[in-house]
Amino acid sequence: MAHSSNSNLAHHFVDSEQQFDASKMGMWIFLVTEILFFGGLFAAYIIYRAWYPELYIMASSQLNTTMGAINTGVLILSSLTMALSIWSAQNNDRKKTTIFLAVTIICAIIFMIIKYFEYTHKFHLGIFPGAYYTFTGIDHVKAPQFFSIYYMMTGLHGIHVIIGVGLMIWLVIKNQKQAFSSSYYTPIEIVGLYWHVVDIIWIFLFPLLYLID
Amino acid sequence: MSGHHHLSLKVLLGTALALGVLTVLTVSVAMIHIPSPFNIVVAIAIAAVKAYLVVMYFMNLRNDSKFNLLSFGFSILFLLIFVGITMLDTMFRVEVIPGF
Repeated sequence: MAHSSNSNLAHHFVDSEQQFDASKMGMWIFLVTEILFFGGLFAAYIIYRAWYPELYIMASSQLNTTMGAINTGVLILSSLTMALSIWSAQNNDRKKTTIFLAVTIICAIIFMIIKYFEYTHKFHLGIFPGAYYTFTGIDHVKAPQFFSIYYMMTGLHGIHVIIGVGLMIWLVIKNQKQAFSSSYYTPIEIVGLYWHVVDIIWIFLFPLLYLID
Repeated sequence: MSGHHHLSLKVLLGTALALGVLTVLTVSVAMIHIPSPFNIVVAIAIAAVKAYLVVMYFMNLRNDSKFNLLSFGFSILFLLIFVGITMLDTMFRVEVIPGF
């Protein structure tokens, strides 16, 4: 173990503990920028909802609450399995680390498949963002605006889910090459922090978009 | 302070269970149609509790360095300043409804 921890230690750090804390701090700073990045979209959502409260109630009826709720459950489960993969790495259980990462990847893919069905159903109805909106079922001039906000928020979140899948596949490959142990699992910890923020964003998107009356 | 704080299986499973219960709660509350301003307050409050659980237990910020906690806290503070000051403009315009 001492050997593997030394081989991962960059020369400018005092010890692997300091290196681990520095990596985590860097990730938290990045996550702060992520929160403010999504914050711009949340601000747009809040301002338009304050201007047109009736629009949100009318347009939200086009969103499938059941699919949104299932996706919320899927992401919570994936957050649990992500944390469990870190727990497995801390306990030097390489096999379980891979299994829990694989379950997390499967959950992420299920999330995107459900999102795909939601999007294609809306496209079929002519519910596109902005100028491409042709749906006539909502009697409100600003209906395209709601769906622009919907697509931007869920789309940016979806891109984050896809990036997360890529990162977790990378972790599985590294783990299978025996790169991680209880003395070095920084990449799993860092991707875990990212994945939990993706979950948190959805925790807010679900009630704000799907659960309006 | 130690970044290498070991996660507890019991705590992780308990957190996931609490998140599941709160999800069921937020869907049920939406179905009973609470009058207008309060439904948003309740929905945001439940989401905030869920986010708190994820940050403190899954991301283990409660055992992490205080600097990380401070960074996260400030991101929320600045988000509130951003939205709050923007709304001081958008909610008090002479032309209330804009062209866009």
